[in-house]
Amino acid sequence: MDALSSTLSALADPTRRAILARLALGETSVTALAEPFQMSLPAVSKHLKVLERAGLIARGREAQWRPCRLDAAPLRDLAIWLEAYRKFWDASLDRLDDYLTQLQPKGAKK
Amino acid sequence: MTGTAAANYPEILTTRIFDAPPALVWAAWTEPEKIVRWWGPEGFTTTIHEMDFREGGKWEFTMHGPDGTDYANHKIFVEISHLQRLVLLHDGPPRHSMTITFEPHGPGTKLTMRHLFEDRSAYDLAVIGHGAVEGALQHLANLDAFLAAPG
Repeated sequence: MDALSSTLSALADPTRRAILARLALGETSVTALAEPFQMSLPAVSKHLKVLERAGLIARGREAQWRPCRLDAAPLRDLAIWLEAYRKFWDASLDRLDDYLTQLQPKGAKK
Repeated sequence: MTGTAAANYPEILTTRIFDAPPALVWAAWTEPEKIVRWWGPEGFTTTIHEMDFREGGKWEFTMHGPDGTDYANHKIFVEISHLQRLVLLHDGPPRHSMTITFEPHGPGTKLTMRHLFEDRSAYDLAVIGHGAVEGALQHLANLDAFLAAPG
């Protein structure tokens, strides 16, 4: 899967978005992350793995307390892509508008 | 606008009114020699390699940016409803489809483009995102409430 699609698919789940929102406030432990979600630790770990694979979070190496922190780079990439996409279509439709005007025989317009 | 922006599929909606009849707008979207006259922002040119204009047909082209960068594009025509509707699948990344509808609007045409992504998050970020990650992160917390609100 390409990076953008992998970011998108990791973000598709509301719990994972909530986890990221929590991590945007600062790094935290898995146990602390699990608390507000009324979820088992293994269930949270599963979500964290998806986020980690997508490069959206990084986890500390300390054996006991493996803090999670947000890595915003993939989000930035996606936001940049979406902005470029929007601009692309705005600009293309501007050109289409001009081109359609050229295509119309003079006097056809009111 | 259907307003049923899909429980499962997110979309970006773009609407434009053109001062030209639907037949002309349709032609500009479906005839290769016309497409290359406007596709892409100012300064871009487009080379169409293959355009098999029928349902299931492939459309391969390269856009050449003003700085010399080439952008390869692979699309598939999913649906062709003459003068009314065109559905294209953009084969990644990220995969999405474009539904373009052509409706008479007085003497002109109302063009609606619906970009559907394969999951909801692209929509979330499209709504949120103006390139600002900080903004996106702030909004992440409120996403679900936001999406539940009437569009």
